[in-house]
Amino acid sequence: MKLKNKISIFSAVIRLLLLIIMWFTLSFVIKKVAYKNIENSMVEKRDKFVKNLNTSEINAFIERNDSTELYVSFSNLHSEFLQLYRSNNAMRSKDYFVDETRIVENESNEYRVLYHHFTYKNTHYVLEIGERLSEVNELLDKFHLVILLLLTATLIVSHFAQSVFIDYLLKPFQKIIDTKINLINEPELFDHSKVHTTTSDFIVLDDGLNQMMDRIQEQFKKEKQFIANVSHELLTPVSVLQNRLENLLNNESINDEGVDKIVVSLRNLDTLKRIINNLLLISRIENHQYSNFEPIDFQSLISELLADLEDRIEMKQLRVSNTVKEHFVFEGNKTLMHILIYNIVFNAIKFTPNGGSVSVSDSFEEGLYSISISDTGKGMTETQLSQIFNRFMKINLEDEGQGLGLSIVSSIANLHKIAIKVSSELNVGTTFRLIFQEVKK
Amino acid sequence: MNVLIVEDTKELAVELIDYLDKSGYVCKWVATCEEALEEVSVNQYDALLLDLGLPDGSGFDVLKSVRKAKSKMAVIVITARGELDDKINGLDLGADDYLTKPFALTELGARLYAVIRRIHGFTVNELDIHGFKIRLQDYKVSYQENAVALTKKEFDIFQYLVLNKNRVITRLQLTEHVWGDVLEVSSDSNFIDVHVRNLRKKLDKHASIEWFETVRNVGYRIIS
Repeated sequence: MKLKNKISIFSAVIRLLLLIIMWFTLSFVIKKVAYKNIENSMVEKRDKFVKNLNTSEINAFIERNDSTELYVSFSNLHSEFLQLYRSNNAMRSKDYFVDETRIVENESNEYRVLYHHFTYKNTHYVLEIGERLSEVNELLDKFHLVILLLLTATLIVSHFAQSVFIDYLLKPFQKIIDTKINLINEPELFDHSKVHTTTSDFIVLDDGLNQMMDRIQEQFKKEKQFIANVSHELLTPVSVLQNRLENLLNNESINDEGVDKIVVSLRNLDTLKRIINNLLLISRIENHQYSNFEPIDFQSLISELLADLEDRIEMKQLRVSNTVKEHFVFEGNKTLMHILIYNIVFNAIKFTPNGGSVSVSDSFEEGLYSISISDTGKGMTETQLSQIFNRFMKINLEDEGQGLGLSIVSSIANLHKIAIKVSSELNVGTTFRLIFQEVKK
Repeated sequence: MNVLIVEDTKELAVELIDYLDKSGYVCKWVATCEEALEEVSVNQYDALLLDLGLPDGSGFDVLKSVRKAKSKMAVIVITARGELDDKINGLDLGADDYLTKPFALTELGARLYAVIRRIHGFTVNELDIHGFKIRLQDYKVSYQENAVALTKKEFDIFQYLVLNKNRVITRLQLTEHVWGDVLEVSSDSNFIDVHVRNLRKKLDKHASIEWFETVRNVGYRIIS
């Protein structure tokens, strides 16, 4: 997951938590404040009532002197009430508040009730003042909604603001990844220009990358130079020797024995030349010096290649089947792909005894294209199989090759991101399977 | 035919001259870009053998100035593998053919012949060897108006031997010419022998071919 997304998710979660906490806290505080307000107004009413009571109403109430009688007064809409009665219970000196449900004229309502105990002329009285809570609760509900909306809005706005800001902040980083890190395997295409940023971490990262790539590029250039030098320095003397021996061969004054020696020398020179060329080829492939990739048509490549080897196939009386039929578009270096398949097919022909068979087929399996080259040749043991891609590895000593063919195959396959699976059974045959990564049909 | 050889390795130039002299070319050798540029501006050459890695610059510079002068000169670039990214690059810059070192002299001879024939539009489109006519433009061989049906490889071998007549051609040279510089083919000369045997059988039906010699242990030679 990208850093940007991780930060976004993390901050979104934090914000959501914060929102929940804020919502609960605010709800709690507002409720407290609202209740406090009601209570204060009830205390005011109590004071007013108790003051008035002393002078007028209580007299009437006392005169009746009825212990069960209640004095009750309700406001018109039952939004508040006042109740006074005698109490025989022990007196409580402190006022207290209770939330209670009262039924008034068949209407049940939630009230906040203030209990006030007092003694008047040796008689205990309880004064209850109630204030209906529904209005307050309605108000509180509205408040909650408003708070929730406000908080949500804040959350969304700040989330977007932050995303934009993070985007802006991480832009240089993204650029480093897109234009530098992703091209790290192609040192030649590397962009050495500095990424504009004021974030010191990114500057350090960018500088570090640039320095590293400078060094790699330098190394790369040196290696390329070295390869060019080696090829020139080694192949020029080989060239001189070969041409001199060729001229010598046509010199009438040389006897048969001399001619034989010249021919053997020429053959050795040829081997030397092939080894140098093959090593050069491997190192050039591994240095990514084959850059010109083009679409490759395997059907024609393979049929051309088999036509090229026709005489060998005929001479060994091999049965060859080519069932390559899928239309697979692959971008690769044509020369290298030819060498890759040629080497495998050539080996198959070489190691299959007269009258055997070689088959080339292709298929799509789980969306992956693959080409299989099978033979009914002498096969290999597990140990041999594990070493076939090593340089200078020869399966048998009579083999005329230099043991570089499959090494080249492996280098080319790596370059093209092709996986090779080899299965083999001694005296039964070998199958090479090339599995292509790109999924195109 | 005048050929200018631009090659900084003297020993190699000596061998090239030795071979080309015997094949009837008149050779001049220079070792640097500067000399090469002077030489092509003063004298008329039919062909140029151009090494790319020269002490005072790249052979490409010579090639560019030759092409700028619109001279009808056949140019074969000679280079060590690795100096060019692809064969196409050399041809793109105006070379007519391209050989990688080390190459067989007989291969050079065949290429040079083909390039000069193409560039200078020779009327000679036919090689004649003891009555056998090799038509170069359509790969046909005939003997006294009778077609000799050859496979492409047999034709290649025959033409190659005739172009290098009176020279011993080794099996290795023939193999490389017919199959190209294919990797890991190595010196499996049996295949060449089979093709040559078939070729000789086909030619022998039309006329005696004692001039088509097998050189013991070495290869083949056609005597004119």
